[in-house]
Amino acid sequence: MSDVTAQKKRRAPEPEPADEVQQSLYAKREKIYPREVHGTFAALRVLAMVVLLGLYYGVPWLRWEGRQAVLFDLPARKFFIFDWVFWPQDFFYLALLLMIAALSLFFFTAVAGRLWCGYACPQTVWTEIFMWVERKIEGDRPQQMKLDKLPWNSEKVLKKGSKHVILLLFSLYTGFTFVGYFTPIDELGARMFSFDLGPWETFWVIFYGLATYGNAGWMREQVCIYMCPYARFQSAMFDKDTLVISYDEARGEPRGKRKRTADRQGLGLGDCIDCTLCVQVCPTGIDIRKGLQYQCIGCAACVDVCDDVMDKMGYDRGLVRYTTENGLKGRPAHPLRPRILVYATLLLAMTAGLIYAISQRIPLELDVIRDRTGLYRETSEGLVENVYNLKVINMDEREHVYRLSASGLPEMEFINRKGELTVAAGEVYNLPVRIRIDPIHLTRSTNEITFHIEATDAPELAREATSRFIGPVD
Amino acid sequence: MSQILKVQWIISILWPGFLVAGAATIVTFTVFDPVEISACIGGPDISRTGWYSVGFFLFWFMSALSSLLTCYFQQPCQVVQGTQDPE
Repeated sequence: MSDVTAQKKRRAPEPEPADEVQQSLYAKREKIYPREVHGTFAALRVLAMVVLLGLYYGVPWLRWEGRQAVLFDLPARKFFIFDWVFWPQDFFYLALLLMIAALSLFFFTAVAGRLWCGYACPQTVWTEIFMWVERKIEGDRPQQMKLDKLPWNSEKVLKKGSKHVILLLFSLYTGFTFVGYFTPIDELGARMFSFDLGPWETFWVIFYGLATYGNAGWMREQVCIYMCPYARFQSAMFDKDTLVISYDEARGEPRGKRKRTADRQGLGLGDCIDCTLCVQVCPTGIDIRKGLQYQCIGCAACVDVCDDVMDKMGYDRGLVRYTTENGLKGRPAHPLRPRILVYATLLLAMTAGLIYAISQRIPLELDVIRDRTGLYRETSEGLVENVYNLKVINMDEREHVYRLSASGLPEMEFINRKGELTVAAGEVYNLPVRIRIDPIHLTRSTNEITFHIEATDAPELAREATSRFIGPVD
Repeated sequence: MSQILKVQWIISILWPGFLVAGAATIVTFTVFDPVEISACIGGPDISRTGWYSVGFFLFWFMSALSSLLTCYFQQPCQVVQGTQDPE
């Protein structure tokens, strides 16, 4: 390979014609004014928005046994989720939960494409409500475009100003709710209205609020196109049987404008009347008729609007519809394909595993650390003594009395040990323990011993921890 | 590089760092309690929320720095050397 060819190869590839939308976005972002749309999928999207936002803003206010039902109490290093209290030691469950979440995303993507993007992604949901506010104040697409072309007169200032004030306040409330998941929200609210928030709380309310305002108010589809990692790799989970939104090219082409009464066969036209409404409603500004594009978030706005047009024209619905590559080509569908079965099996197994693990979880932790100041000590009576530091963590929400014992060597004698120890709910109890033993029982210099702890009122609350007993051996 | 505009540069430096910093903060502070560590080494007396925040931004800064270097090294060599474009 010559030097020049090598250099050419290293350069970024020239843009391909199919990338023209993306190129135009790279070059200069053209503001997108999605037209309002009504229909089955729009209704589903609104329903998803109401439910998800309702959950987000409502859940922190739920109470459970005298405390906030869902609270990720970072300052106390404890997560409260209804009846459960998770400690940093329970990280395993969080990891498992995240793996299940990722796997569900794979599963649903393989089955139904970008369901997540179209209906459930926070970016979509907040953009949806922001656009709703925008439409209430500025009107629909044509009015918005007109307003943007106007010089800055009093009407424009008033409309734009009130829109941004409302969106900013809403964003700040979103930030406040976010912090409310980490600090008790009722107390946070009281302190916010008396301007008594701590510096970090204030910071995170503003930071999260501005992030919401920026992402849903300004960035919008650019987040999906440039920032979303999922948008880039989701094609790896697609196959020919994945549900995608598609334009039926065979039916629609050749496209062309015509009167409602016109005879399309006579004119040699397909069903697409080239009204471009599908482009106007698209929140990412693409033309679905150009085929599957990674900018498509699967929101189905084009399906709704095209169905409307088809109804008006008296044509069959579904020129743009949820379908599969195989479906478009008239091939049989394969709902139970290996990819789906593997994802489903893994998902079921991991979910069952998590439920089992949580149901078997013992809210008690026992750590033993051998005292490092000396290996062992010989008493005046000729006994060998080892010192341990025990840490008993009662992760339950009730106080318990625990019985401590040790095994592994015969006739171990506990010194300075209370018979039973009472540990309050959520308490970390540090207990130094000295154990003495007659050296005739020691056959080796290092002997494994096991500490046992068990709640007197609940025998299932039991833990063990091993350590070593070190002594002289002749 | 000329086709990639500033906005994508900025996003590709700050955004991966943000994601990584989030994960790093969760993992690090699950294992280590910053208040205990600070007490051990005689560090400043900051609340846990404060430490988490400081940690997050420190991770973000570090990982954004790494993204910045990646972007820098991605430039074609001839641009760095200032040689003429062959075309």
